[in-house]
Amino acid sequence: MSASFEEKSVWIQVVSLVVALGGYLVAAFWMARAGVTELAAYMPLFVGAVVVQVILLIVGHTAAAIVQKPEDADERDRIIAWRAEARSSWILAIGALAAVSMLAMNVETVWVAHVLIVALFVSTLIGYVLQMIDYRRGF
Amino acid sequence: MAKAKNPVSNRIRKLRFEHDEMTQADLAARIGVSRQTLNAIEGGKYSPSLEVAFRIARVFHKPLEEVFAFDGGA
Repeated sequence: MSASFEEKSVWIQVVSLVVALGGYLVAAFWMARAGVTELAAYMPLFVGAVVVQVILLIVGHTAAAIVQKPEDADERDRIIAWRAEARSSWILAIGALAAVSMLAMNVETVWVAHVLIVALFVSTLIGYVLQMIDYRRGF
Repeated sequence: MAKAKNPVSNRIRKLRFEHDEMTQADLAARIGVSRQTLNAIEGGKYSPSLEVAFRIARVFHKPLEEVFAFDGGA
């Protein structure tokens, strides 16, 4: 498979997102099931997930840059990114709307935070998958 | 749903071979896109912007319509 640096970057971002934020969501799910409802209890886990994600992004992009000379995004890369964002950002918007509605209904803030993070995760992941499809299939 | 056929065709591959078997990497560097993007253009998986299309035609010293053709309807 011959992939441009930008396409490889998308793959690296998917892996880091799934491992770090996906890992956070799985752990948070079990914490919620165990009855943890204090938002502060999730903070160390979330900060840890963000740190892991940043490390994975740095390591992944460094490795990719060693294998292949990095290139700036060209017009196709930019269009693919725009197309993916246009088709996936509605998920985050719905999540934000749901979070605001939950606040209006006095739902505990921990659940509002969960909804926002799930929406961010799903929206971002679908955006990356759409980019992968456009890179491979064309448009 | 099947992907619609790209109505824009091109003769880039033929023109590259007529120009001392220019590689995709060489042509891509001259027009400012990645080799993978040029490959997508050549294979009909991506229709380039007008600017990139003109750059490609200029490299081959050809008018645009000798490099690209529109096979769609009106």
